[in-house]
Amino acid sequence: MTTVENVVLAVLALAAITTVWRIVRRSTLGDRAVAFDLLTAIITCALLVSAARIDDGLPLDLAVMLGLLGFLTAVTVARFIESREGEEQ
Amino acid sequence: MSDVVRTVLDVISIVAFVVGALLALVASVAMHRFTSTRSRMHATTKPATLGVSLCALGAVLQLSDASDITKVAVVVVLQLVTAPLAAHMFGRSVGGK
Repeated sequence: MTTVENVVLAVLALAAITTVWRIVRRSTLGDRAVAFDLLTAIITCALLVSAARIDDGLPLDLAVMLGLLGFLTAVTVARFIESREGEEQ
Repeated sequence: MSDVVRTVLDVISIVAFVVGALLALVASVAMHRFTSTRSRMHATTKPATLGVSLCALGAVLQLSDASDITKVAVVVVLQLVTAPLAAHMFGRSVGGK
């Protein structure tokens, strides 16, 4: 079981690296925000898998916190993009 | 719990983990393959939500403490409630791009 969970964590790490590459590469602010939203979901997946791996509740607390923070960040950035475009017009 | 039931639960949990991780990988590849911000949002938000739900299913079958299972439920509900809201805000802010 632990071997399977290690492989799953490796796949999730690959997905996270691909997403980070998208954020780092030259792209718009909206693209980066969408990629960041995906990154929080991938990290939440990894935290759930590692909670099952060690049979402990600690990663789950982090997952709840990450979910709230990711949502607040997404809303804040979206509102920022909207207000900035409103000023330009 | 008998060994047979445990094995069946393990197999279901493994399948859920693997499918969830592959969905996350597909979503991250779609970030690069799609051309506009809105099509990228379409390609990333849905697999991410389903991936988190499947990983949560796999984790629930492995965890032994009832309070841990409740926390997993909180994580899933949080993801299901906030993901459409965030996607809506993004969709409104990026306009037709």
